[in-house]
Amino acid sequence: MIEVKGVTKIYGKKDNEFKALSDVSFTIPDGASVAILGKSGSGKSTLMHVMSGLDKPQTGQVIIDGNDILRLKTKEVDKFRSRKMSFIFQSFFVQGNESCYNNVSLPLEIADVSISRRRVRVEAALKAVELIDKKKSRARDLSGGQKQRLAVARAIVNSPKILFADEPTGNLDSVTGGVIENLLFNYHRKFKVTLILVTHDPELSERCDIQIHIKDGVIDSIKRKKK
Amino acid sequence: MKIQSIVIRAGRSLKQAKSRTILTSLAIAVGAFTITLSLAAGAGGRSYTDQIVSANTDVKELSVQKSPPKSQKGPTKYSSNIVSASTAFFSGELLTRTDLNEIQKIDGVVSVTPNYNPQIKYITRAGQDKYLASISAFSPSVTLKYAAGSVSGNLADNEIVLTEEYVPALGFKNNQDAIGKNVEIITDKLTAPISAHQTKTFPFIVKAVSSKSGLAFRSQSSLLVSSSSARAMYDYINIGTQSYDDFAVASVRTTSEQRAKEVKDVLIKKGYQAQTAADILGAVNTFINVLQGILLGFGALAILTSIFGIINTQYISVLERTQQIGLMKALGMRRRDVGRLFKLEAAWIGFLGGVIGSGLAVLAGTIANPFISKALDIGDIRLLIFNPVSVVAVVVGLVLVSVASGILPARKAAKLNPIDALRTE
Ligand SMILES: Nc1ncnc2c1ncn2[C@@H]1O[C@H](COP(=O)(O)OP(=O)(O)O)[C@@H](O)[C@H]1O
Ligand SMILES: [Mg+2]
Repeated sequence: MIEVKGVTKIYGKKDNEFKALSDVSFTIPDGASVAILGKSGSGKSTLMHVMSGLDKPQTGQVIIDGNDILRLKTKEVDKFRSRKMSFIFQSFFVQGNESCYNNVSLPLEIADVSISRRRVRVEAALKAVELIDKKKSRARDLSGGQKQRLAVARAIVNSPKILFADEPTGNLDSVTGGVIENLLFNYHRKFKVTLILVTHDPELSERCDIQIHIKDGVIDSIKRKKK
Repeated sequence: MKIQSIVIRAGRSLKQAKSRTILTSLAIAVGAFTITLSLAAGAGGRSYTDQIVSANTDVKELSVQKSPPKSQKGPTKYSSNIVSASTAFFSGELLTRTDLNEIQKIDGVVSVTPNYNPQIKYITRAGQDKYLASISAFSPSVTLKYAAGSVSGNLADNEIVLTEEYVPALGFKNNQDAIGKNVEIITDKLTAPISAHQTKTFPFIVKAVSSKSGLAFRSQSSLLVSSSSARAMYDYINIGTQSYDDFAVASVRTTSEQRAKEVKDVLIKKGYQAQTAADILGAVNTFINVLQGILLGFGALAILTSIFGIINTQYISVLERTQQIGLMKALGMRRRDVGRLFKLEAAWIGFLGGVIGSGLAVLAGTIANPFISKALDIGDIRLLIFNPVSVVAVVVGLVLVSVASGILPARKAAKLNPIDALRTE
C-alpha cells in the first residue's frame, strides 16, 4: 500500500517560490492501476517523483509498506528503488550507444544480480516486449516505439512491485502507443504490480482502477472504479 | 553495484567515445613515454658506470690525494713549505715521499703506489717511424679487452701492452703478429743541459694488444708497462727536477674491502683525501641521477598537463551524459557507484595512456639501444635498461594519478540531481 499524506512541494526560494504540490493526500492499495491526470504543469511528474523518493517535498509523508521513504537515508531509498520500483519516461531515456541487452541489464547490475541470473531475466524481458531479435542492436538504431518497448523491458526486468510511467505514450503515434499501453496493462494484471500512470489521455485513464486529477498542485478529484 | 560491472560499463562507455578517449590518453602516453625512458636511461647509466668502475677499480683499493685547505674560497695561497702543482687538470697540493711513507705505515695498508706517468720521448721499433705515446702502469684490477695475447696476473718488467692503433703504426701485419716482438721506448733526462742530451732506451716485448672496450676508463691511447718499469722510466726522466717524487694521486692497496673503508677514515683524519671504488661510483651516479631527475621533471610536466586533459574530458562526459546519470540514479544506483563509474573511466584512460606510452618507450628503446651504443662507441653495452617492475610502477602510478584527476568530475556526477536530469521534455 502507498499512502501519501499532506505532501507539499515548493520550488524556488523566497521571492519566486512556486508551490508545485500543496497538501496532497491519498492512498493506493497494492496491485492497483492508477492514472494521474492533469494539464501540463499541474504537478503530475512532481507527484510521481515524490512518490518514488526521487524528490523530497518540504512537508508530508510517503509511506510504502509501512516505511516513510522520505525519512530513509539516500542510500536506503536508492536500494528501495532498485528493488521495488521502475520507471518509464516519455522520452524513453534508453542509452543509444549501448546494446539492447545492456540497456535492460542495467537495473539488474545495480541490484547486484549475478551474471547468469541476469542473462535469463534480460532475455525473458526482451521476449516479453518482442525485442529478443534486437538483443545485440544498438538502442539508437531502434524506432521510437521499439525504444519505448525497450524501456518497458528495462522497467520489468527487475520484477518491480511498483511501476511508474510518466506519459509513456506521449511521444508515440496512437498505434505504437496502444502497443505500449497493452504491454503495461498486461504486465500489471499478470503480476499484480501497482501501475502508476501519468497521462492526459482520458481514454487511457478509463482503463485504470483509480483516477487522480490534479490542478495547479492540488487534488481536484479522486475517482475509484467500482468493482 | 559490483565493481566488476562498473569496470565493464566504464570501459564500454570509453569505447563508445573512442577518439576522445584515445586523444586524452595520448597526452598521458607522452608523459609515460618520457618517464619510462628516463627511468631506463637512469638504470642503464647506473649499471654502465657500475660496470666501468668495477672493471677499472678494486674494492680493496683507495685513491688518495692531498686534501685541499678547508673553508677557503678562491685560489690557494702560495706557501714555501708545501709542494703544489697547477696544470689544466690538476691544481693543489701534491703527495710527497714522506706522505707515501706515512700512508704505508697505516694498519691494513698492503702497498702504496703513486701514479707514475712517465713523459717519454717516443716509442718505436727497428726500421719504423717514431710515435708519441702516453705510458701508464698496468694494474691487475683493471679489466682490459684483448685483441691479441693476454696478461694473467702481473706484467713482467720487460713486457708491454700496446693498443690497437700502434699495431699498424709500428709496422706489424696484424694484432697477432705484434705479440712477442720487440719495441723500444726512448726517454730524455729532463735535468740534462740542452747542449748535452742524455737519452735512455728501454726495450720491451709486446705481451698483448688491447682493444677498445666500452668499459675503458683511462685514456685509450695509454700503453701499459709494469709498475716498476713505469717507475724506472719516471725516475730516469724526472730525477733532479723540482717536482721529482711528488704525485697528484696514489693508489693504496689494503687487505680487504672493509679495511679499505677503515683506512679511508684514518687517511681523512690525517688530512688526506681518499676515495673508495664505491665513492667514485657514487660521484658518477650523482651526476646520472641529476640528469635522470631533469628528464623525469619533463615527464611529470607532461603528466601534469594531461591531468587537466582528463579533468576536462571527464567534465564534458558528465555534462553529455546527464540523462544517463539521472536514469541510473532513478534506477537506484548509489551516489558512490556513480562516482566510481567516472573514476574508473578516468582509470581506464590512465591505464591506456600508460600502456601506450611505456609500450612505445620500451619498443623505441629496444630498437634504439644498439644505435646508441654504436654512436657512443661503448661496444655491446646497453644504455637503456627497462626494468619490468618500474614499467609496471609507471602504469600503476598513472592509473592512480588519473583516478585522482577524475575525482572532481566524478563528484559532480555523483551529486547530480536525477530529477533535473530527467526533466528534459
Ligand atoms: N526545478 C524546478 N524549479 C522550479 N519550478 C519547477 C521545477 N520543476 C518543476 N517546476 C514547476 O512545477 C510545476 C509542475 O511541474 P511538473 O510536475 O513537471 O508538471 P507536469 O508533469 O504536470 O507537466 C511546473 O509549473 C513547473 O514549471
Ligand atoms: Mg510531466
